Amino acid sequence: MSSSNATMKRSSRALVFVMLVGVAFSILWPLWLIGTAALRTNTDYLRNPFGLPGELTLENFRRLLDTYGIGQAFLNSLLVVSIAMVIQLAIATFAGYGLAKYPVPGSKFIIGGFVAVMLIPGQVLIIPIYLLLSKFGLVGDFPGLIIVYVATGLPFCVFFLALSFRGVPNEVMEAAKIDGAGFFRTFFSIVLPMGVSGVATVAVLQFLGMWNELIFAFILLPDDSKTLLTPALAEIGGKFVRDQTLVSAGLLVTAAVPIILLIVASKYIMQGLSAGFSR
Amino acid sequence: MTNVAAEALVGDAAAAASPTGRRAPKPPLPTWRKRERRIGLFAVLPAVLVVAAVMLYPIGFALWLSLNKTNGIKYEFRGLRNYTDLLTDPLLWQVVSNNIKFLISVPLVITAALCTSVLLFEKIRGWRYFRVIFFLPSVLSTAVVGLLFRSLFGYNGVVNSAVVAAGGQPIEFFTEANLAISVIVIALVWSGFGYQSLLLLSGLTAIDPAVFEAAMLDGAGWWKRIWYITLPQIRRTIGFVFIINVLYTFTSLFGFVFVMTAGGPGYDTTTVDYLIYLKAFGGASIGSGAALAVMLFILVGALTFAQNKVFRIGDDD
Repeated sequence: MSSSNATMKRSSRALVFVMLVGVAFSILWPLWLIGTAALRTNTDYLRNPFGLPGELTLENFRRLLDTYGIGQAFLNSLLVVSIAMVIQLAIATFAGYGLAKYPVPGSKFIIGGFVAVMLIPGQVLIIPIYLLLSKFGLVGDFPGLIIVYVATGLPFCVFFLALSFRGVPNEVMEAAKIDGAGFFRTFFSIVLPMGVSGVATVAVLQFLGMWNELIFAFILLPDDSKTLLTPALAEIGGKFVRDQTLVSAGLLVTAAVPIILLIVASKYIMQGLSAGFSR
Repeated sequence: MTNVAAEALVGDAAAAASPTGRRAPKPPLPTWRKRERRIGLFAVLPAVLVVAAVMLYPIGFALWLSLNKTNGIKYEFRGLRNYTDLLTDPLLWQVVSNNIKFLISVPLVITAALCTSVLLFEKIRGWRYFRVIFFLPSVLSTAVVGLLFRSLFGYNGVVNSAVVAAGGQPIEFFTEANLAISVIVIALVWSGFGYQSLLLLSGLTAIDPAVFEAAMLDGAGWWKRIWYITLPQIRRTIGFVFIINVLYTFTSLFGFVFVMTAGGPGYDTTTVDYLIYLKAFGGASIGSGAALAVMLFILVGALTFAQNKVFRIGDDD
């Protein structure tokens, strides 16, 4: 697959490599600095921020866990994001399948509507959603935020899944229908298995989006014991401006999950790219 | 890209429905066909209902709020006064001019992304790994990126220790408006160029290789090919990237501003989206915040519409 375009001489290709390494360095170096700072004591860090740690310590992580409840926030995030993702995928896979393979009346209108809704910025929704949820007593607890996450992610999910389920050949489905398989049988035994990479792509992208989301999580869960990881980090960062090593440790904890996901699932994330931007 | 795909999908769905739906005197639908339509509708219904309830209805509610003076419990209708008050408030124009300052990031990001994509396009060994590394900042929260750069440029940060090592005094980057904006712009470029270089790369990959071969036969050098072939061929992708960047500076700076400057010093780094938050949740002027949100929504809609227009024109030539 390494079809080079061979538009360059060998020596210039070496130069391209060096330049790419330079670009990669500019991305990785700040992360490296934060990663090492997280493992240092503050005095050791202040002596020489660039250098290697004089001694390694987990003290910063211990402080985050014991004093600032980052462990609870991590678990809260995991819980909210996982539940929201499962509900979202359940609703979106059915809708995507329906739009891709059934003559849904007004499907043109529905898809157009979803694409338009995708463009609504979160800041436009936050005020009315806050007021509506507080009317139902849902501010300050997980279900309210879960509903918001499910809904705001749905348009992209449905759109993407409708596209990828279209790739499932009709002949296979016709054959299943002739064998007497109904909507659910066809869905679970054919469409899902054949469209699994599309589902995985959406799942990863949505997980990342919700994990990183700040404004809804911050506004809708004001209570410290219910807070999610990203707003918790934002608050720690605001309070301890000068405590570089503590903030670095918080950054590392928050960034770890997305980075691991990227490494494990880069194939799916790169697939999602071709569908444009999710949010 | 989303739009192109949407059209393809819409077109196809219409085609799928046409065998029964398009003929002039409609013959009655066969029962199996009716059943199919009903099943499809039921499959789509939950998604439509959820989106309508949690996205469309709130938009309408925001419109209503923007016409009222309210604390969330009592409503006092005041017509378009929230809008006129906003438009005559110098603060709004200061904030809009801040947003315009942030637009400096657009050419910077696009230039960096273009250079990177051209390098990637050579598909030298290991380019797939580079691709993943370049994508890395895009999987991080704006809060993480913002704090990362506030740490790097903080009083005890790496940048300042370099400044001190060079014999200078530590710089307070976040107490002076233009310095603070510059740091946020750097963070924006850092977090955005990798992803956009991948978007541009997909545009590059779509160019017919025969064009390059012909140019090579004509003796065009590498730089000439970049300037006269590559760039013109991907101008539509560049246009798309340009628009999403402009949209981004109006709708997605909240995370950066929230963790890096909290809008300060004064309102010097407050952006439109941050001002919505300040008004509604900091200053208890919900109606005014909603009016600002509606205006932002209209701006986003107009920019997207313009983008579509530009794309249509691009399709014709």
